[in-house]
Amino acid sequence: MYCRSCGAPNDDNAWKCIKCGAVLQGAAPAVSTTPPITIPNYLWQAIACTVLCCWPLGIPAIVYAAQVNTKVGQGDIEGARNSSQNAKMWCWIAFGSGLVVGVLYLAFVVISAMLQQKRGS
Amino acid sequence: MKTLPSQKAWQPACVLLVSMAVALMALAAGVLRAFDPASAWFFPPCPFRALTGFLCPGCGTLRGLHELLRGHVAAALRLNPLMVLSLPFIGCSSASSAVEALTGRRLLRVFVPPACIWMLLAMIVLFWILRNTPLFTTA
Repeated sequence: MYCRSCGAPNDDNAWKCIKCGAVLQGAAPAVSTTPPITIPNYLWQAIACTVLCCWPLGIPAIVYAAQVNTKVGQGDIEGARNSSQNAKMWCWIAFGSGLVVGVLYLAFVVISAMLQQKRGS
Repeated sequence: MKTLPSQKAWQPACVLLVSMAVALMALAAGVLRAFDPASAWFFPPCPFRALTGFLCPGCGTLRGLHELLRGHVAAALRLNPLMVLSLPFIGCSSASSAVEALTGRRLLRVFVPPACIWMLLAMIVLFWILRNTPLFTTA
């Protein structure tokens, strides 16, 4: 591993830097006390909607998920947050519409089956 | 000692939500294993296919999952290879999300490189186009 204060290479088990004497293990560096910025990209939800909901509305969600990580990579946090919101919205649109269509279809076939049975008896 | 946010108690609402999701999935898996969507009458068809006549990237997923639940991997791959290949990713990520919702601790700390997501998107669109051509004959 490398020393966090001077960058000198050290043994992985060393507890003090051989060059500058800074403590290498135990004490957390100041950076890690603030959590790293994580912006959800909703990628797995987008893929799940595309592949599992039987409905291509998940495609825009994947586009926005890709945009989130592209913008995070470029340091555009504000833009990434926007894309994240859009990815979330499209996931819900895809999932919700898939669910509504499925439930409506189920209601339709059940009712028509019941009507047919009534007519037959 | 100050409690870190990752050590907070489980939220009752999250526990309820996650257990409901797991129960629903188990129920769906049971129904899907018992009935073949290719012949059973109550499975909804793909709205895109019903409207346009073309296959969408998700067509064959229900039938494919039915085959997978019965251990027929090859049949599932024929019906929708995209679904079979993306299942491990969806499974791992959703499990990680569930754990995060329950404990506040992230299991997976993966930053998928944007180029990979764009490539995945291209693959999905390509698959969508190609499966409507004579190159793919099933599903």
